[in-house]
Amino acid sequence: MNCQQILIHFGELSTKGGNRKLFINKLGSNIRHALKAFPAVVVTSDHDHIYVELNGEDAERIAAILVEIPGIQRLSFIRRVSKEISAIQAAALEMISEEKGKTFKVDAKRADKTYPLDSYGIARAVGGYILSKTDWKVDVHNPDVHVQVDVRREEAFVSCKTIVGAGGYPLGMNGKAMLLLSGGIDSPVAAYALLRRGIRIECVHFASPPYTSMAVLDKLEDIIGKLSVYQEDIKLNIVPFTKLQEAIYENVDEPYCITIMRRMMVRIAVALAEKEHCLALATGESVGQVASQTLDSMVAINDVTNFPILRPLATSDKLSIIATAKKIDTYEISIRPYQDCCTIFAPKAPKTKPKISECVHYESRFDWKGLVDECVEKVEQVLYVGGKKKQFEN
Amino acid sequence: MIYLDNAATTAPFAEALHRYEEVSTIAFGNSSSNHGVGRQAQKILEESRREILSLLNVAKTHGMVFTGGATEANNIAIKGIALRYASRGKRIITTAYEHPSVLEAFRYLERQHGFEVIVLPVDPRGFVRPEDLEKAMDDKTILVSVMLINNELGTINDIAALKAVIAKYPKCLFHVDATQAIGKWHGDFSLADILTFSGHKFGAVKGIGGLVFRNSIQFANIESGGDQENGIRPGTVNVAGAASMAAALRKCYEQMPRFQKKCADLYGELYRFLSETDGIELNSNPLSASQSPFVLSFSFLAKKASVIVEALSMKEIYVSSVSACSEKTPVSRSVLAIGKSSRLAENSIRVSFGHDSTLEDVKSFESALAKAMEEVRSL
Repeated sequence: MNCQQILIHFGELSTKGGNRKLFINKLGSNIRHALKAFPAVVVTSDHDHIYVELNGEDAERIAAILVEIPGIQRLSFIRRVSKEISAIQAAALEMISEEKGKTFKVDAKRADKTYPLDSYGIARAVGGYILSKTDWKVDVHNPDVHVQVDVRREEAFVSCKTIVGAGGYPLGMNGKAMLLLSGGIDSPVAAYALLRRGIRIECVHFASPPYTSMAVLDKLEDIIGKLSVYQEDIKLNIVPFTKLQEAIYENVDEPYCITIMRRMMVRIAVALAEKEHCLALATGESVGQVASQTLDSMVAINDVTNFPILRPLATSDKLSIIATAKKIDTYEISIRPYQDCCTIFAPKAPKTKPKISECVHYESRFDWKGLVDECVEKVEQVLYVGGKKKQFEN
Repeated sequence: MIYLDNAATTAPFAEALHRYEEVSTIAFGNSSSNHGVGRQAQKILEESRREILSLLNVAKTHGMVFTGGATEANNIAIKGIALRYASRGKRIITTAYEHPSVLEAFRYLERQHGFEVIVLPVDPRGFVRPEDLEKAMDDKTILVSVMLINNELGTINDIAALKAVIAKYPKCLFHVDATQAIGKWHGDFSLADILTFSGHKFGAVKGIGGLVFRNSIQFANIESGGDQENGIRPGTVNVAGAASMAAALRKCYEQMPRFQKKCADLYGELYRFLSETDGIELNSNPLSASQSPFVLSFSFLAKKASVIVEALSMKEIYVSSVSACSEKTPVSRSVLAIGKSSRLAENSIRVSFGHDSTLEDVKSFESALAKAMEEVRSL
């Protein structure tokens, strides 16, 4: 497409009052970071928009990156022309010819109040020109193509094409959450929902070798690779969970094992979240999906902390979760057959309405605190940058 | 690392790797090309073919085409024979514990081409009984497919007795899947009308296999393409792989007495240990002329095999369990076929020896297994 600039609209940001500048700066720096492979591109901003000057780079390629960046509501492809009305008309005609549809409308505005035509006059001149040269019809209510003309002091902007962005907020604007990542279908989708909302993520995985296969770590690596499109650097905390899990199964009656296991996971995840300056935990739970995800179970599990637990998929149904997983390309990875700690120890008849008092009773049977502390101390941290393993800590 | 999964695949012999590299370097030409380097490849290909046939001692009666492996060879053998000779009859016979490339090929012929498929049972010790075959045979039977050595139990079927039954029906051909036998078993391969195998199971590189067949046999076209390998397996021939397979087989035959003796010792030791260990049930038989010393299968009464395999893997000891932990837990078809419960079939482990295996390996495996069984919870 022959255009020189992509114009970025903020959407929800417009409601943010005093924080607006902060949001725009964050989004601008996220965009610059995402486009760092294109050194010619220049990103500038004002109160209303961010402008991506292409300087010869391919508009479609740049747009494909921009649509994945949270905080962008819409993108418009802009052609810059000289201010003469004939130049504006010619550009509008050429651009609309590249679009599909039958109807259009023209909107114009002029920052340059000395321009010989007023905004209505500009719209009429451009619209009339298109009507005289093509079969397109005008529809001011529901046009297929919206032609926008903006006459500025130095030059004029013409745009015929606007596409929808990822929406949400700029990444990092809303703090960081510690996400429980099992490797299943749901948790990567929860990650995507958080990232779109501008929440950075860090992941925690509970590994119970030999009960769970170490091959699951390759799977997590691949999932993190897919998520790195939205957040480049993702830290994975691998918790050595085997000893604690065995202790649970020695001391707790079978129907309560999963509930107690989830309570322990939350305790460990909260400790890690505090260490890593996360403001919340997050899970891929969806109400009612399995025994540990009933509201009663959530109450019993949540009882161990007052740390907020975000459940972005709480009310999503499985089919829509799967559709999103396919969209973000994690589905095929998630369905690879490895058991995680939840499935291998799955009791035959798990409690769907666990009681807090029973949980406390079972937990009084063994010294879990030392085991929880050990899990937190011995956690293995791996940092992924752009989906590639960067370094080992601890 | 202690590698005891040689029935899955073997580490290639240095000689086989060297030969592969050598042929890929000096005779990389297409064996169908009519110029110097092509003819050189053609020459090596034919030498390799002759060498393999003579090592198997079938050079006078049988020919051979190179395939990508045993799966492809089984598909060409079974579908190619059944479709070629369907006018003689549409009854075909196989057994309950064949490799999927055999069983699924039979199922395909049943579903798509209306063949009558008979699946013979296996006796509790893991053998196909000639009397069962006898009962299943009739004048319309055109193909019997039986594996020589079972890939999990290591049982060696009496192909001479089976052949004697089939010989009463001159229209019927005998296919033997010899994947676990080539390079390890020194018997009369000429009993089979068609033999199939894969190079990587006996020290060659992956991606090369063989389809050996009595000279009079014809195959229906299964793969469309050029006329390489008589049109039976079209496509540019993997000459370096073929040469590597010939080199590997030569080495197997050079070392066979010593290799068999060593593996018999290892098998005896492991069998003794396992029969004295609580919580284990052996699926394989004690060593005898009808038990391969290379493959040994056992099941856990209470433990989960996938968990034990993972625990051993963490100590870099590699054996195989059928279960890859999928939601629909796969079971060992061979263990099921000898009449064991699905619990035992789901929790079986296969240990298989190779040229590099040592008694120390077996001892280390035994102590690691004992430790894992003690540490890992029953599930």
